[in-house]
Amino acid sequence: MKDLKTVVGFTIKEMVKRKSFIVSTIIILLIIIIGFNIPNIMKIFNGDDQSSGGSKLLIVDSTNLFEGSLEGLNNMELGYNVQTTTDNLSFDDIKEKINNDEIDEAIIVENNEGTYKLRYIVKDMTMLVSMPQNLMDAINTIYTNLQISKLGLTEEQIQSLTPNFEYSIEQTEEQKVSGNVLAMMMLSIVLFYAIYFCAYQVSSSITTEKTSKIMETLVTSTSPRTIVLGKTIGIGLVGLLQVCVFVAVALISAKLFLEPGTLESVLDMSQMTPYLAVITIIYFILGYFTYALLYALTGSTVSKPEDIQSANTPVALLAVIGFYLSYFTMMNPTSDLNTFAALFPISSPFCMPFRIMMGIASGVEVAISIAILLVTILVIAKVAIKIYSNAILNYGTKMSFKDMIRIYRDKNN
Amino acid sequence: MGLKLENVSKKFVGKQAVDNISFEVDKPGVFGLLGTNGAGKTTTIRMLLGIIKKDTGEITWNGKPVERKSVNFGYLPEERGVYPKTKIYDQLMYFAQLKGMNKTDADREIKKWAEVLKVQEYLPMQAEKLSKGNQQKIQFMTAIIHNPELIVLDEPFSGLDPVNTEILKNVIIDLVKQGKYIIMSSHQMASIEEFCTDILILNKGKTVLKGNLKEIKETYKANRLELITDKNVDETIKEFNMNIEFSKNNEYSIKIDSEEKAHELLQKLVDNKVQISKFEIKKPTLNDIFIEKVGE
Repeated sequence: MKDLKTVVGFTIKEMVKRKSFIVSTIIILLIIIIGFNIPNIMKIFNGDDQSSGGSKLLIVDSTNLFEGSLEGLNNMELGYNVQTTTDNLSFDDIKEKINNDEIDEAIIVENNEGTYKLRYIVKDMTMLVSMPQNLMDAINTIYTNLQISKLGLTEEQIQSLTPNFEYSIEQTEEQKVSGNVLAMMMLSIVLFYAIYFCAYQVSSSITTEKTSKIMETLVTSTSPRTIVLGKTIGIGLVGLLQVCVFVAVALISAKLFLEPGTLESVLDMSQMTPYLAVITIIYFILGYFTYALLYALTGSTVSKPEDIQSANTPVALLAVIGFYLSYFTMMNPTSDLNTFAALFPISSPFCMPFRIMMGIASGVEVAISIAILLVTILVIAKVAIKIYSNAILNYGTKMSFKDMIRIYRDKNN
Repeated sequence: MGLKLENVSKKFVGKQAVDNISFEVDKPGVFGLLGTNGAGKTTTIRMLLGIIKKDTGEITWNGKPVERKSVNFGYLPEERGVYPKTKIYDQLMYFAQLKGMNKTDADREIKKWAEVLKVQEYLPMQAEKLSKGNQQKIQFMTAIIHNPELIVLDEPFSGLDPVNTEILKNVIIDLVKQGKYIIMSSHQMASIEEFCTDILILNKGKTVLKGNLKEIKETYKANRLELITDKNVDETIKEFNMNIEFSKNNEYSIKIDSEEKAHELLQKLVDNKVQISKFEIKKPTLNDIFIEKVGE
């Protein structure tokens, strides 16, 4: 136990001191902070801040079709500072105004033999395929209201013209599914990357010890089991801490840099319960142990850094299969395949938190899934430690799968 | 008491690495484990350290079976290794703690041995910044830091310059004086002859020679004459049907069948008024014995 603590402590110290770890952590933190600031950055580049009242839009209504009612657009919080004119301005006049920064964009209302055409003029239409939908809807509403007001209808008649429907959605399946797919996919992806990259570190750490020839000194100082478990726990703790820091910085950034309600409009924050947080951490730990021990096994079979990639390929494939099994069955969460993915040990760490978030995982299902993962970890640990114990002193060529089976079966090893 | 191996064997796929070897290190001192590359030395060492399991036989330390968990031997492997990016002090502390020392004792021993081996200035440095020889001294410290009773040194002098070799030799002499049991594996026969009282020579996993080095050498009769004269005496030597192994500037190394014949040659040279500054009849060196036993 004392040795295990020593190996864990040394592994943590080695990990956090590594330049690649420090640099990658800083880069990811910067990406998170910059990511949450993208709306603010875009505003700065567009010169579109609160003080200017939005993009300057000039509407040229030379036919006076809207009878001055378009000023009402300013009250609809569309993000535009609307000015209207009945002057007969041409495309070239508008172009000059845009170039002189008098306006950002314009709409020219033209009467084309009885049909009206609205020409939307912008400086650069690279990011646009048409006039923004909210602007079109608002103009249509203003025009409709203008025409209705001319009919001399009573207030009640006018109100009856406005739809007042309540929409809802229900399902015939008994399992109740709730939640927002974006949040779930994000959770699944974050779990996959966190588990995969942390686990991969175990393999590279073991191969580094083999290539630096320190292994022989190490195995005479403590047991192979202590080395494998100590490394796995140490790297896992650093990974967990790193993920927690990323999540904390993301939440703080969202709070500081996003306008109130923005995050809630994209993610349903009501689903982020303490229970989900605890379950996610449990699945991170179990998923990490599953893959880290597999990587410990493959890492011990090579003695040259250039062989790591090929030795790790089978584990990487398993992880990718597990992830996609979980990811694609999210589209149909009540399917049997999704239930299978939530129980199957290579996919359950990525799938079960998502099912819990959707409210379709029962307590029994969660307990069975965790039990299967624990048994899997014990089996993998037994095999990995036995093969590791014998493979670490092999400095020859990369061991084959056949060699691994032979080592495992050899009662003298 | 001491280390005892009885009828120990180990087989890897298609190869008998160690075949029924037995030896005993029953008193403090240096025991020489010799053999060509692939003779089974490293496998023997790994078995006696408990890193790998033997197929058959018994290995005991002070009468108790050797198991990795129960022994705390010191080991300097032939494959030199350090954590390249880690500070020397940190890695020495790590291994000392793994070997059961507390931080205070480990700190004291690290500083003591760093002074003895003249590596104090390197303690705060990353290992990759040290020369190969200094890295080797650090690894030697790792092997002895926890004051083990039995120390296995695999090629301890390879790669060291004469100054550092001398430092290490003095440390080994001190360790023997302190009553340590040392097993030394080396291809440098001069070092083995200098330190070892008992030896074992392995060839293809089998014992080809073992015992007290002095007694072994006693069993070999003189086979070489070293001679330095004031003039060329090639013709005289040939008259005695002797084979000149080496000659340069009237210095000769001559293969002889018997000491009597060498004395006859000496008499002849004296009669011929040849001035002789060296006449030494030599027994085979350990190197000669090794080559005779394992050379094919």
